[in-house]
Amino acid sequence: MTVSLADLPKGHEFTETRLNLTPDWAAEYVRAVEDEAIEAVSGHSYPPLALAACSIRALLDQAALPEGAIHVGQELSFSLNRDTEWEVVARARVASRGERQGWVLMGIDLSVESESGAAMMSGRATITFPVSGGPAG
Amino acid sequence: MSQRTEEMRTYRVGDVLPAVTKTITQAKIKRYAEASGDHNPLHLDPAFATTTQFGGTIAHGMLVLAYVSEMMTAAFGQAWLRGGRFKVRFRGAARPGDRVTASGRIVRDEGGKIFCDVECRNQADDLLVSGDAEVRVR
Repeated sequence: MTVSLADLPKGHEFTETRLNLTPDWAAEYVRAVEDEAIEAVSGHSYPPLALAACSIRALLDQAALPEGAIHVGQELSFSLNRDTEWEVVARARVASRGERQGWVLMGIDLSVESESGAAMMSGRATITFPVSGGPAG
Repeated sequence: MSQRTEEMRTYRVGDVLPAVTKTITQAKIKRYAEASGDHNPLHLDPAFATTTQFGGTIAHGMLVLAYVSEMMTAAFGQAWLRGGRFKVRFRGAARPGDRVTASGRIVRDEGGKIFCDVECRNQADDLLVSGDAEVRVR
């Protein structure tokens, strides 16, 4: 049974996930977000938020969103070279957790590196959910 | 002062970036859920979503944010992909049927690092996303 994010304390480190990005994955993401700009940039087949999406996917494979969870903020920085890195490593950590007026505010640090260790993306997702939130759905 | 991107566009402080407009549909939300792996029922299950504060399904925040990124890619090309950064807050929900416009304005230039205010609004001018973005163009 997948644990809920609601059960995780500050400092919790998610298991590192190795992702094999493929051209099919890139095309599916670009279709989903209807990005008409990326194909005009030579040597790039996916936009930076695709990395954020797959790092969040890796996180959600390990911990379910609590019922009523809302994404309230996002910080991201990225450094994408031409498409030479298709094997990447995603990491995530509960960086902050606080409660106020019946709601939990949780910051989750996300990062994606190439297999060779080069930083490709880092950032923080901030979510909020009711204190008593169980898994969504 | 003006800066040139690799695409040889010239931008100055105060310039408005070319906006990106998309229409949200439930099918697009479903497609994004498949691509991202985020199957939160708030986005996909109308019966569940009607029981929430939103009263219906809403788009993933990261889908709406992707429109901001597309705007920045179109404006700054490789420079955005090689070293972009942004920080936003999700202020409102985008719903099926909404026409969402991502827009931005250059507010500062610090020696080749350009800072922009960015936002997304729906057809009713409700603010959905606001924040700032930066990109080094030289």
